[in-house]
Amino acid sequence: MSDRKITIEYNDHVVRQFLLACILWGAVGMLVGVVVASQLNFWRLNFDLPWLTFGRLRPLHTNAVIFAFVGNMMFAGVYYSTQRLVKARLASNFLSQLHFWGWQLIIVAAAITLPLGFSRGKEYAELIWPINIAVALIWVVFAVNFFWTLARRQERALYVAIWFYIGTIITVAMLYIVNHLSIPTSLLHSYPVFGGVQDALVQWWYGHNAVAFFLTTPILGIMYYFVPKAAERPVYSYRLSVIHFWSLVFVYIWAGPHHLLNTALPGWLQALGMTFSLMLWAPSWGGMLNGLLTLRGAWHKLRTDPVLKFFAAAVTFYGMATFEGPLLSIKSVNALAHYTDWIVGHVHAGALGWNGFMAAGMIYWLLPRLWNKPLYSTALANLHFWLGTFGILLYVAAMWTSGITQGLMLNATTENGTLLAYPNFLDTLNAIRPMMLFRVLGGGLYLIGWLLLAYNAYRTLLGAKAVNGTIEVFVADKPAEERLGLGAMVLNPPVIFSVFGTVFACAWMFGGDFLKLAGLFGTALVILLAWVHFRTRISRWAAWYDRLLLNALPFTILTFLAVAAGGLIQIIPTTLVNRASNVEGRRQLPYTPLELAGRDIYISEGCFNCHSQMIRTIVPDVLRYGDYSRLGESIYDHPFQWGSKRTGPDLARVGGKYPNLWHYRHMKDPRDVSPGSNMPNYPWLFTQDTDVAALPAKLAAQRTLGVPYPEYKGDELTALVNAQANAIAADLKAAGASVEPGREIVALIAYLQKLGKHEVIAPRLPVAP
Amino acid sequence: MNPNKPHQELGEDPIRHHVFDGIAEYDRRLPNWWLVTLYAGIVFAIVYWMATEHFGRSSNESRLDAEMQRIEAEKLASSASAIDDATLWKMSRNPVFVEAGRATFQSTCASCHHAALTGGIGPNLVDTTWIHGGSPINLLKVVNEGVAAKGMPAWGPVLGGKKVSEVVAFVLSHHTPPAAP
Amino acid sequence: MQPPAAPRPNRDFVTTIREDGSRLFLHPADARGRWTTARRWSAWVLIVVYLLLPWIPVGGHPAVFLDIAERRFHLFGFTLAFQDTWLMFFGITGLGFSLFFITSLLGRVWCGWACPQTVFLEHVYRRLERWLEGDAQARRKLDTQPWTPAKFIRRGGKQVLFFIISAMIAHLFLSYYVSLPQLWSMMHANPGEHWASFVFVFVFTSILYFNFAWFREQLCIVICPYGRLQSVLVDDHTLNIGYDAQRGEPRGKVGTPDAGACVDCNRCVQVCPTGIDIRQGLQIECIACAACVDACDEVMTKVKRPRGLIRYDSVAGFVGGRTRWLRPRTVFYTLLLAVGTAVGTWALSTVRPANLAITRLQGSPYFVTDEAVRNQFLVRIVNKRDVPVRFVITLPGAPAELVRTGMDGTVELAPLAEEVRPLIVQMPRKTYAGEFTLNVRLADAAGTFTLEKPVRFVGPDKGFMDEETHEKRDDSKKEKHEERDHQHDLKEREKHQYP
Repeated sequence: MSDRKITIEYNDHVVRQFLLACILWGAVGMLVGVVVASQLNFWRLNFDLPWLTFGRLRPLHTNAVIFAFVGNMMFAGVYYSTQRLVKARLASNFLSQLHFWGWQLIIVAAAITLPLGFSRGKEYAELIWPINIAVALIWVVFAVNFFWTLARRQERALYVAIWFYIGTIITVAMLYIVNHLSIPTSLLHSYPVFGGVQDALVQWWYGHNAVAFFLTTPILGIMYYFVPKAAERPVYSYRLSVIHFWSLVFVYIWAGPHHLLNTALPGWLQALGMTFSLMLWAPSWGGMLNGLLTLRGAWHKLRTDPVLKFFAAAVTFYGMATFEGPLLSIKSVNALAHYTDWIVGHVHAGALGWNGFMAAGMIYWLLPRLWNKPLYSTALANLHFWLGTFGILLYVAAMWTSGITQGLMLNATTENGTLLAYPNFLDTLNAIRPMMLFRVLGGGLYLIGWLLLAYNAYRTLLGAKAVNGTIEVFVADKPAEERLGLGAMVLNPPVIFSVFGTVFACAWMFGGDFLKLAGLFGTALVILLAWVHFRTRISRWAAWYDRLLLNALPFTILTFLAVAAGGLIQIIPTTLVNRASNVEGRRQLPYTPLELAGRDIYISEGCFNCHSQMIRTIVPDVLRYGDYSRLGESIYDHPFQWGSKRTGPDLARVGGKYPNLWHYRHMKDPRDVSPGSNMPNYPWLFTQDTDVAALPAKLAAQRTLGVPYPEYKGDELTALVNAQANAIAADLKAAGASVEPGREIVALIAYLQKLGKHEVIAPRLPVAP
Repeated sequence: MNPNKPHQELGEDPIRHHVFDGIAEYDRRLPNWWLVTLYAGIVFAIVYWMATEHFGRSSNESRLDAEMQRIEAEKLASSASAIDDATLWKMSRNPVFVEAGRATFQSTCASCHHAALTGGIGPNLVDTTWIHGGSPINLLKVVNEGVAAKGMPAWGPVLGGKKVSEVVAFVLSHHTPPAAP
Repeated sequence: MQPPAAPRPNRDFVTTIREDGSRLFLHPADARGRWTTARRWSAWVLIVVYLLLPWIPVGGHPAVFLDIAERRFHLFGFTLAFQDTWLMFFGITGLGFSLFFITSLLGRVWCGWACPQTVFLEHVYRRLERWLEGDAQARRKLDTQPWTPAKFIRRGGKQVLFFIISAMIAHLFLSYYVSLPQLWSMMHANPGEHWASFVFVFVFTSILYFNFAWFREQLCIVICPYGRLQSVLVDDHTLNIGYDAQRGEPRGKVGTPDAGACVDCNRCVQVCPTGIDIRQGLQIECIACAACVDACDEVMTKVKRPRGLIRYDSVAGFVGGRTRWLRPRTVFYTLLLAVGTAVGTWALSTVRPANLAITRLQGSPYFVTDEAVRNQFLVRIVNKRDVPVRFVITLPGAPAELVRTGMDGTVELAPLAEEVRPLIVQMPRKTYAGEFTLNVRLADAAGTFTLEKPVRFVGPDKGFMDEETHEKRDDSKKEKHEERDHQHDLKEREKHQYP
């Protein structure tokens, strides 16, 4: 064995780049957030300009905060801590730079395309397909750079932070790719391959786990590095780390359907979504406990150290948000809270409190170390903390009040529950309008706090010289006994018990009569055996896990298996099931070409940000919007537009509810027909022409996806479009509003009037044996 | 470092030997109450799944259907046991219904049909011309569902079944029932 | 079996979570002294207030009655409708912000003095425990005794009593949301008739029982976010409970040469309800209950040394400096609190005894008949007073030609009633000259207040009306016309604001 002593200089250059980008994009993302929140109060702030309208800016806000702000923060934190935790410089300078500049380019591309109305119409997955490919490629660059660094590590064992980073990288890759599978119709437009309920399931499997694996696990990893460093305390419990890491990554992925409770989603998926969300509470709190009790020993330093203040508050908000999440996943609570501001408040408690404060704490801790100069002003950092905390308080209080008020009003009935107390949606909207103003105040304070951080960073950097960390290590050969082969990876008690337990549990959940019973007993038996084995042979479990920690590849594979299970079990049955038969007695009529064009306008304008198209299986929804939505009614929707927020009313059955004239006036100025509405004006729809030329390509893509469109020959398509458009224009003219039939507004009206139209098909007859 | 005895009694090391970039880790056991919450969550999931998927506790849809049927029953009960022409005519001769209907008519309908039912924006309701059919059931349908093109809104969802039938009874009280067959 | 001895508190671990993960159930010794007495008084005042609020009628309703079913909130004779719930925001942030302000001055004083958790635990449940099972030593002894019938009766009786009290608190909590007579009738009825309330009270009782009978200080340590947020709001000049290390160290029994004031009697540890040693400095568990202050003062008096070895003081004070009460932070908080109070008061003053909301009747935005252009609205009036009120709807500033039907005369609403009525307005064709804004004003017949909401009177383009009479028109001209109308509209719209 030949031990050599070498000096490693860490690549802190790329850390600094990501750090500064995080500060910049954080400010941009929050600023756009304050703007869109203001637009909800003052509709004039939409300025009647397409690219400044709420529906287009809201995706910009969410994407900027998630992918630009937290993304850059994550990369800075991951790169800084990983190098030190594995005692190796980042594997490739080139890949690091490619990662940084590629990511920034993606952000800029997103910031340009989203306001221009290029959207895929799925939340947090709005970016168009060329950017999707770029994101996937850069993510692979990140993964290669990371795992290559792990391969060159001088520190054999993997610290808990690294586990979380590994979980993040593989899971985000899996989620992102599956949810972005699309068929392009042009350079800027595509249709998702999934439609209707399948798209809904895939979208929220992705959407929920974007929160889990983009906003939570990497930040937990960062917490496990920076909190003990800043507190100068040992981590509270390694065992807790082990249990909460594995339970978190395994359970989190299943909980996606809780975004679709009480909808047309099949009941078994809703049951999984709700129960796994409740099970998620303990694993989440395991992380909080570990962070909090690590800080415990340094509690007296909270008074003076802003970094610890931010961390302590962040961990607290993480605890609050992860307590609220399971609560909101209970079906009856969800019936009240879903689609309201309560959910908005919930995510912001996480985003502002957990992500924002973790970022701030990390930045204040890193600045002096990366530039070798004390922080310019601790007082300013403290002020930032107080402003931020107060901002969150204002914001969350406003959203709770607003959400609960509106939820109760929407669900209020009179006459023994037979009539809605507030049949007009606007009555409920106007009751919560003031809360929207307070939310701007809260968000504004938070933004000011962030600007103070930016200023503090700027003053710290003035005249400072960047320094890279170095370390001296002894290079040691890897002892053979540490290596974990494929066999040893799989054939060991924890993995065997987990695999058998999962298989039996699946058999129990999905099997037929006999299989069900066998599964139940099998599961019980496995649990019993595992318990006994764990009790008697605990040292074997521990020894195997210690060995696993020395082997990055097996660890990664096992993590992947753990996160893949939930998605596979939920999504595969849903995609395999025969679409045509899974319609609950109703099938959507395919959109006419003009309606399809109108639908693309609806998506492009981001209408889904405020309007759902899903009447839930709860009484107030049915009383207000009509019969509940069936699976078959969105079968041809690529993408689905069930929505997740009702700033305005549900539109699933709006077709035929109002005359064309109503929609015409409403899109011109919503307040003309809906006094007190906060919806923007859409004047450009009255001057822009519908993109009929794109229709053949779009129809071809839809045909590929299984939507029954005939092949249109020659002028058939144009004639069809014109006939429908002319009819609408003529109807409008008769009512006193004249418009060219080729305008976008006509296509949009055609689409809106189509919503809820379906054919009733005979229920499937039981197949004779 | 740790003055507590029990760790040694359990034969465990309170702190792990490995240190990562200066970060040490205690090897504390998990608080029991936290473990209990974890187990409780799992047990609840199993019980809930059993209840909903195996023992067929009502699904969203069946629960909703039951509730909507209750509402429907409530509506029927409050309007009349079985609404038909004869019942509505009978109601129109009953002062309790007519008086209740008058109050609703004056507050809600009079703005278009005039307090004396002689019409204005909406048609006259005391003459013998019926645009949408003059049978009591037709009247009920018009009040409930409206005539969108003319600006007559659907009052069913606003007033509810009881008030609507009262209003119809009130209007009918200005007409004579057809001779009994 | 003898449980492992209580370890000495240290800074590494939570005292109440044992090495094996089990819970160390604390039996804090009784503290006596001025702070304990003062806390008991204040706690009883708070409990009595909580008990009595639903019983005291103010203006015909309980002093605090949040009537969810009827969507009305009665607060000390003041009635708010659901449409006013946004005022709740001031309540929530006011509470939160007062917490900021008080914490910056006095530390976690909320935890120790006013939090329901501490108030009920220290002054109800623990007192009962003390009464039934004796002092800390007796209780600890009882822990180790085998399960004799006597112990079973004692322990079981205590649990039963705890459950009953939890149920009482839960019922009382519900009575803030349903009136007492209704609560009474519900308690006598079959639970099946009011499942939601029954389940709520049952779950709430169970949570309270679990918390007060067993979970106790763990809630403050790991669950409660407010305690932690208060901790991060503390600075060097905030009053805290602390130990004067300069005076106390090095510790030693009375008579030890060169020893400080602390006699290391451990009384402060014995009385601590969260199991810490305050002499190790500010810790996450400390709820600032001041029990250790009283305990130490008692000992100091006994050994004839000045009191205040453990006391309320700031970090600055403990190192011999002066506590600055006026700091930029506290001044800033005072200012913000003043602004918040002012805005809140103003907002409250804008609450009218009625509420007006205007929407359109479902259907076309306007109707054109041979005679007129017609708009149809639905006006919702909420009477928030406890007396019947007669309301008048007027259209100030409306064109003289405007014909209005519906809501003529006065509308009488029963106490706290809510009503919707149609309001139909028509412009004769001849005088119709495009769209305009219409103000709808609600006033009571006595003229004590007015409320105004603008709505838009919409109709076809003026050109359309002309077109119908003169069939032929040049299309391009019309478009220009339309555009001008639109510009006009925009200008019109600038004039009014939607609140």
